[in-house]
Amino acid sequence: MSDAGQSPMIALEGVSKTYPKQSKPAVAELNLQVPEGAIVTLIGPSGCGKTTILKMMNRLIEPTTGRILLAGEDVTDVNADQLRRRIGYVIQQVGLFPHLTIADNIAVVPKMLGWDKRRVASRVDELLHLVGMEPDDFRDRYPRQLSGGQQQRVGVARGLAADPPVMLMDEPFGAIDPITRERLQDEFLEVQRQVAKTICFVTHDLTEAVKLGDRIAVFAARGRLAQYDTPSEVLAHPADAFVAEFVGSGAAVRRLSLLQISQLELAQIVISGAGAAPKDQPVLSVDGAGRPSAWHHVPGSERPPALVTVPLSGTVYDAVDVMLDGRAPVVVVVDDDGRPRGALRWDALVADLRPNGQLR
Amino acid sequence: MGSYLQYLSENSTELVFYAQQHFLLVGYSVALASVISLVLALVLHTNQLTPPSWRRSLQVGSRETALLFASAALTVPSLALFGMLQPLLGLGVTPSIVALTLYAVYPVLRNTLAGLSGVDPAILEAARGVGMGPVRRMLRVQLPLAWPVIISGIRVAVLIVISIAVVAAVINGPGFGKPLQDGLARLGSVNSFNEVITGTLGCLLVAAGYEIVFVVVRRLTTPRGIRV
Repeated sequence: MSDAGQSPMIALEGVSKTYPKQSKPAVAELNLQVPEGAIVTLIGPSGCGKTTILKMMNRLIEPTTGRILLAGEDVTDVNADQLRRRIGYVIQQVGLFPHLTIADNIAVVPKMLGWDKRRVASRVDELLHLVGMEPDDFRDRYPRQLSGGQQQRVGVARGLAADPPVMLMDEPFGAIDPITRERLQDEFLEVQRQVAKTICFVTHDLTEAVKLGDRIAVFAARGRLAQYDTPSEVLAHPADAFVAEFVGSGAAVRRLSLLQISQLELAQIVISGAGAAPKDQPVLSVDGAGRPSAWHHVPGSERPPALVTVPLSGTVYDAVDVMLDGRAPVVVVVDDDGRPRGALRWDALVADLRPNGQLR
Repeated sequence: MGSYLQYLSENSTELVFYAQQHFLLVGYSVALASVISLVLALVLHTNQLTPPSWRRSLQVGSRETALLFASAALTVPSLALFGMLQPLLGLGVTPSIVALTLYAVYPVLRNTLAGLSGVDPAILEAARGVGMGPVRRMLRVQLPLAWPVIISGIRVAVLIVISIAVVAAVINGPGFGKPLQDGLARLGSVNSFNEVITGTLGCLLVAAGYEIVFVVVRRLTTPRGIRV
């Protein structure tokens, strides 16, 4: 994330919202800056105003006071419909137009912007490819012929259609089953790697917020921004008691998924048959291609434990997961070719995991 | 039975003319009622079109009031309504169409309002979120989605009006009311029963004709994605 010294893509300045007939504001005096190209997840308990805040960014809800800036331009008083065509919008209920084909759904904004037919058609195909749907299969279908996960892929494609610099997403994966949701999250990150939009993403799921966010904005009641920082900072150093309680139990486990194995110092492994092995180092047998086949000897164990491996590109969370799953006190870290690069030991992991989330 | 067929063939030109008249009388009235109801429903439904100073309860209230008047019109006995319109509009086609239009408004208005408010709010929010203005939202999203409900309201109006239309004969209106009432007035004399039967069957025929029209119109006007 490169936000140092740049002007933010979205900026809320002193924004408040008081609904009619209510004495207390739903959001009070909020300042928030979203750097260009970043995913910011907005999270907080129900009724904290996170959706209100999101909807004020494209003025689906008009702020009572304050200014909204988009790429430095004050958009508080511009034509709201025109503004929304410059901002992608994806909602939990998807809201595809059931009477239009998938292609026409995606084409809604480009058509309003007056793109010519050819450009619209090629953009639709490009976007369907991007979200992993074969254009020839899906272009002419109708929303009700699609599964929930497919519908939300189309919803994301519709949001991206006119190539807006900013996307607002309101719990887009909230109504989708856990397995599909995880797949959609992975695909979403892959898409974001290609399109590099500035994204505000409302969720109530901390795991999702940690996984997707470059930054997390934690909101307390009435839209108070309790903490705004990177996921690992929020998990390791909650700004106050509210955030600490909100990230609460499981924070240490969640942090594991933010730690890349490649960032760690791995324990040495000795390959069996490569000379005399010191007694205090694990010894591994390998097959002909150099891939691990079994433990020959592991210090501290009477009999060699089951062999489990984890890719170097994984996270510590993955490593812990396979160790628990295989009842193994040690896991072999392998590279892309499946060759051993080192080992992670359970006891070392637990002993060295510092409160700040770093090892050693 | 043989004599009835003979009656039909002897009077075929006249009967075809009655059928045409009846069909068109119903068509004009319901078309007029549909236009009135659609405009009324759009004004009443769209918050943007009613003054923002109207409170929500008043907006809902105005909708209910319109429906109340429309349903009240439907309960006025048809004989009385035709009679009341006669001093104002005279005899013949004009008062017939006006009266039948009044009867047709309620089912169309009711279904139009129901159809418009039955559109999934998430879809309307998405429409707003992608930057559709109120007019575009209504014409491109809300109205097409409400259309199947609206058209079934129009169909009910047609069925109601087909049978009420026979009463138009009391003010010299067109359609199958004429043979029916002639026959009833002279019951017992030559061909009187044949006339009554013809008036009744004629209405069924017109209704069947409209059913076919509706099957076609529905097929052609309902977007493929929401056809059931």
